[in-house]
Order: sequence, then structure tokens, then C-alpha cells
Amino acid sequence: MTDSKIKDFFRDVIFGDPMTALGFVGVVLFLLVALFAPIIAPQNPYDLGAISIMDGQLAPGESLMDGTIAIFGTDEQGRDILSTIIYGLRISLFVAITASTIGTAIGIYLGLISAYYGGVVDSIVMRLVDVKMSFPGILLALMLLALMGQGVEKVILALIIGIWASKARVTRSAALGEIRKEYMRAAQLAGLSANQIILRYLLPNSIAPVIVMLPMIISGAIAAEATLSFLGVGVPITEPSLGMLIANGFDYLLTGYWWISILPGVVLVVLVLCINVVADRIREYANPALRHETM
Amino acid sequence: MTDILLKTSNLTVVYPTKRGAFKALDDISIEIETGKIVGLVGESGAGKSTVGRAVLDLIDAPGYIAEGEIDFQGESLIGKSNDFFTQIRGRKVGYVFQNPMTALDPVMTIGKQVLEAIYANTDLKGEQAYERALDLLTQTRIKDPKDVMEKYPHQMSGGMCQRVVFAIAISANPDLIIADEPTTALDVSVQRSVMDTLIDLCRQYKISVMLVTHDIGVISEYCDFVYVMRHGKHVEQGPTQEVINHPKQDYTRNLMAAVPRLSKRLDRFRVLETVTDAQSKAREVILRYFQESDFPDNDELLLQVDKASCIFNTKSGFFGPPKTTIGLDTVSFTQNRKEILGIVGESGSGKSTMGRAILGLQRLNSGSITYKGTSLTDNNGRAITKDIRLSMQCIFQDPFSSLNPRMTAGENVTFPIRTHKLLPDWLSAKELAENLMLSVGLEASAAYRYPQEFSGGQRQRIAIARAMAFRPEFIFCDEPTSALDVSVQAETLNLMKDLRDQYHLTLLFVSHDLAVVRQMCDRIIVMRNGAICEIANPDQIIENPSHDYTRSLIAAMPKLDLSA
Repeated sequence: MTDSKIKDFFRDVIFGDPMTALGFVGVVLFLLVALFAPIIAPQNPYDLGAISIMDGQLAPGESLMDGTIAIFGTDEQGRDILSTIIYGLRISLFVAITASTIGTAIGIYLGLISAYYGGVVDSIVMRLVDVKMSFPGILLALMLLALMGQGVEKVILALIIGIWASKARVTRSAALGEIRKEYMRAAQLAGLSANQIILRYLLPNSIAPVIVMLPMIISGAIAAEATLSFLGVGVPITEPSLGMLIANGFDYLLTGYWWISILPGVVLVVLVLCINVVADRIREYANPALRHETM
Repeated sequence: MTDILLKTSNLTVVYPTKRGAFKALDDISIEIETGKIVGLVGESGAGKSTVGRAVLDLIDAPGYIAEGEIDFQGESLIGKSNDFFTQIRGRKVGYVFQNPMTALDPVMTIGKQVLEAIYANTDLKGEQAYERALDLLTQTRIKDPKDVMEKYPHQMSGGMCQRVVFAIAISANPDLIIADEPTTALDVSVQRSVMDTLIDLCRQYKISVMLVTHDIGVISEYCDFVYVMRHGKHVEQGPTQEVINHPKQDYTRNLMAAVPRLSKRLDRFRVLETVTDAQSKAREVILRYFQESDFPDNDELLLQVDKASCIFNTKSGFFGPPKTTIGLDTVSFTQNRKEILGIVGESGSGKSTMGRAILGLQRLNSGSITYKGTSLTDNNGRAITKDIRLSMQCIFQDPFSSLNPRMTAGENVTFPIRTHKLLPDWLSAKELAENLMLSVGLEASAAYRYPQEFSGGQRQRIAIARAMAFRPEFIFCDEPTSALDVSVQAETLNLMKDLRDQYHLTLLFVSHDLAVVRQMCDRIIVMRNGAICEIANPDQIIENPSHDYTRSLIAAMPKLDLSA
């Protein structure tokens, strides 16, 4: 893509629609907040020296002992909820983006070799996909985490296992369409090796459908990670993600301390919503039938 | 003139795009008299189909009629409601589409589809309608119409399906039939009889025909009057023979010169070609590049195919027994260096399969192929070295799928050469790409653009450049021009002849078009059902064919009697 194409993309696709523009700004803000969490957050909620149990369970807007106002209130340990959300966002996004990228890459690779080699390779890969797809996703992740125990890297691994299969299938079908085209014959006649053909000919022409799905995969992974953490098999308590925060506050929900659980929940919903709005628009744009008119 | 059925005046159709309005039709005025057959001819993008669509209000959004009048039987069609057009479509104007396989509903029997048209457009009911359907199918010369009524489109050949489309089109005794490239998607061997059926029916019922086609042969044979169009504009009009034999406009003259003749062999197509200095310099560079690989300049035997046979196994249904189709049936021939050998035949005749087998893309069940004294078939081709593999290249039929869309034209051409480290010291990949682009008649800067930015003919030139990059000795040309417009076809064929002459290439040229093969080839092989019918030189094939099938192929070609 040239510079002007990128410019056109932002002008027409992202800022051409007010909802998308809003969603895009939201996504960028969330990313920046996550990236610069230590600078932005009012306190480091996991530095025991910075928090005081005396500040526990303050409602949103009340002042802390040191006079600063806790906009989102505090939890039972006296941690500023806004700060925990900012740090939680960081974990959530890191886990989701890492898992989505690796999972999608694995899916693409398997899809490509499956389509290119066909035969036994195809059968093995596609049967693996079938096996994976026959488990309910969340159940599979629960089982895996129950076996492996808690940990950020383990959650990422569980999410990758949840992500790769459908992407392999999508890539394979796109690649099968490309393999029948004559430029693939030309590549064969040029005496290129299988790796060169897959990398330079098949890959660039087959990944579009999956790449377009990537934002959606990420938002799905954020939600999935939150679910796992809420169920207590996700990230460890020392590195709480948004899902973990919701789970922590859940116990206090009925005793009137609603903000501990609800506010991280609201942030989670808004985050996923922003990504989905942008993702939807990109998907619409990439649909060849709709795109034809804009070209 | 009296009795004018359809008249468009100053018709302008506009498609709004981001870069401003695109005029698909610009000030087009045509007239169709009752009972006459009027041709609209032009190359792709001429807007000839748009005229027919405009008449029936079938222009795809966001296109619209910006200006002009359409009068049908004295009544204006502009600004009429959808209901009004529903009355016209089918009842007064029938439409025949290019591809009969997609024009018919695949999940409905033929009988139901014909009956549906009869119910919708006439008052006939029940038994009467059925009789009418049978009658229509009989008139369109379909064998066993009763059986056909029960069949589904996929069980019938393309030619038969197109006849059914005709039956549907004439079911309501329309006054006009718009036929949009009615035989382009059909096999050469049936094109003529299908076209004859349509024209005979229309003459019989005094139905006017608007015949939209790119095929000058078809125009010359069937039309009373012809309009030549280009880029949505009117070029020339007149009685068919006058336009074809004495074209007044340069464009028409060039178009006529580009049409390959069956009757006479010309050394080159007489189309305007200019070779710039840069291009002739580039050809010298490429010539030096070729000479380095010093393959011999003689007429010796290059390729020998001996009793090549291959069988395709296809599954019929999930549990059904496997079906076998004969791909090649004991095919034997030889080809000498620098010879252009043509293979003609209809689809399924095995002509492409033969080429694919030579290139190693298709395995033989028996028989052998020897190239430069090396067997390509023994021990699954273990004797094939990289040099041999790369000295055999291919130019494909579809220029829109034969280039990698994610590489620039230059990368498409030089990437494999670079990977194999086959470049000589004095020539960089960049120079090679630029010189190849120039030598096939493109700009040097074409190397840096992506395939999508080129037209079909330009892409085919890039594909030729890609084949040339390997310094091949043998090129298999698989219908290299059948996706191209005739003037582009003429230029491309001229280019390929030049390449043979300059770089001593050997070409195996597959085509369904006898006229093209006659112009290009030194010898011709006629194939049918995987077997060779006859091998002879072009004059003999055309003037004195020894095989019945060859005779029927020649008879099926539209006659173009030109005083050229």
C-alpha cells in the first residue's frame, strides 16, 4: 500500500462514517492509556506502599486520605478503581493482541500448507481443525487452564488454541481458490520451491479474508480472556485484567459496592464495542461486492 | 425509412464514479426496422451491451440514462415505471444472455422454466401451455423435447441450453430479441448451428434482432445493418457488407485488418504498430541475453511425443462408481526447432492436456515425451534438470489470473530468475525487467506497476515477458489470445511471431480458432476427444481437409468474405 492509499483508507473508511470514527478514536485512546498506564494512572494499585486500607470501599467521587479524589471509587483494599482499570486494560489488551496475532499466524500457516500440499497434510490439518471445532471454545480453554494452572502465558496459550482453527479453515479455502489460478502454474514452471511459492505467491493472495477479521479476533479474545479470568482460571491475582477486576468486585455487588465490579465491566464493554465498530466497517470495505463501487 | 421498431436518439448513459461521471454511452443513435437483424459491434468497453440493457431499463445502479430518447413501437421508454417494463420484458422484447449455463435456473427443470415463461407472458394454460412448450423446443431444434423438459440445465450441453434460452425468449412472440454475445460462451463447433437456429426463427416470425457481438465474422454472416462502436461512442454505421468491405473510418479499417482470415494466410496482421527507439534497443539487449545461452539455431527435432495417453478419474457422487474420461488417446507427433505447431479442437479435445503433459503439469498413464533427447516421462521425469524445466515455458489463456497480483509486473517477470541466480553479470534484474517490458511493446516504467493497472492485452504482454525471462527454447501457448479483443489479438500474435523469428523460439500454439492457427502456425494438429484427427500444413487443412471432423470445424467457422 502506498501512502496515498493509506490516506484514502483513513479518509473514506475510518472517518467516512461518524460511528467508525468514534470507535477508532476510542480504540486509539484505549491503546494509549494501556501503553502509558504508569504515567496516566493516579496511583500504582499494586504498590503496597501507595495504597492504604483506610481508603477501602470509597464510593466514586469521594476523597482519599491524601486528599485526592477517587473518581471511580476504591475497592476493599483501598486501591483506586480507575488505576486498577488502567492497569487491567494493559493486561487485557496485551493478552488478547498477543494471542490473536500468534493464533492467527499459526492458523494462516496451517491453512496455507493444507491447501498447497493437499492429500495427507490436508487431511491431518483439517481433522485437527474438526476436533478443535467440536469442543465448545470456553470449555476447552477451561479444561486446558485447569490442567496447566494459572499464568498470563498460559491464558495466551489457551486463547491461541481457541483461535487458530477457524483461521486455518478460512485461509485454506481462500488459498484453494488461488491455487487454481494460472499464476500458480507459472510459479511451478519457474522451478520455484514450495516455500517460495507459499511465501511469495500464495500467502499475499490468501490472507486478506483473515487479516480483515483480525480486529474482531482481538475483541473476541478480550472477551474470552475476561470470561476465563472471571471464572477464576485466567490471569493470576497479582496481574489482574479487566475480567479479574469484575470477578473481584462480584462479591461486593450485592452489598452495595457496585462500582468495584460494574465500572471495569463498563470499560470492557466499551472497549470491545469500539473495536467491533471499526472491525465491522473494515469488513464491509473489504467485501469485494461493496468495494467495487468505491474503486 | 418506415416501420421503425426501436429507435434510440442521442442516448447517453452515465455511471457516476469517484473520478467524475463515466459515460458508458455517449450520444448513441440507432434504429432497428421491423424484421431486420441489426448488429452492434465493438471491442470490450465499447458500450454495446449497455444499449440493450438501456432499452429494457436493466442498467445496473448507480448508472442511469442521462440524456436521449428510446422509442419502442412509437412509444417513449424513458421514465416509465417498473410495471411498464415488466409488460415489455419477455412479451415484446426477449433477451438472450451470453452464458446459457448461468442464464437458466440450475434447480428447475427445463420444462418448468419454459412453462413459467409461457404462463407469465401468454394466456395459455395447462395442456395448451405444455403443447406450446414442446412446440417451442422443437422449433429451436432440440432433440427429444419431451425428455429435455424433464432435465436440469447441468445435464445439457451449452449449445442445448442456449437453444432453451431461445425458446424462452420467443415464447411470447416478441417483436424484438436482444441477443448479447449469444454464442461467445459456446464451443466453436456448435456456434454456427446455434446461431443459425436463432436467426432462422427470427426471420420466420419476423422478429427483429439486436445482435451484440465482438465477432466480425458473426456480424458479416447474419446482420443486415451494422453499427460500429468504440468507447461508448458511435464510429460508423451502414449495411453490413459495405461497412465490412469499405469501412470509412480508420478505426473500422484497423478492426477489419485485425480479424484473422481463414481463407488467406498473411505474414503479419496489418495493424498499426510503432516501434520506438527505446524498444528496438531493448530488443537488442534481450537478444544478447538470449544469445548467451547459445542454443543451436537449426531446424532439428526438438520435441517428440509418442503414444501419449492419459485418463482422468472423476468421482460420480459420494458412493457412485468412479467415472473415467479420456484425456489423451495415443497421441504422437513431433515438433522441430523454430516451428510453430498449432493444436486446434473444441473444449475437452485434450489440446491443453497435451501441453500440460509436456510441461510436467499432467502425468501420462502411458506413452513417452522426449525433449532435446531427454525423456520427460521415464521414472516420473527423473531426468528433468532445472535447465530443461526452465527452458520450457508457458503463456496462459487468462491474463487476469496468470500474474501474481501482489507483485509488480517487474517482480512477476524477474523474481524466479533472481531466486535461481540466473542473471548474467552485465544485466541486473531491474534492467532485465525494463528491457523485457520494452521488447514486448510496453513502457519501461510498466515494470514498476501492478498487474491490476493493465488491460488484458497489456497483461498478456507481461505474461509473454515473463516466459521470455527464462530464455526458453520452447513455449506452450495455451489459447494466448482468446481472452483478448481482436485488435489486441492481432498485435499479440504479431509480437509472438517476431519473438520466434528473433529469438529462435519453438511454439506449441493451442487454440480453438482455426483462423488464428492458420495465420500463426507452420503445421496444424486437429484434435478431438483426446485423439489426433489429422496433422498437416495449414493450406492443406483448410483447403483440402482429409478428416470429417476437420471439415465440420471449417464449416462451423463464420465466413468472412473480405476483399482484403
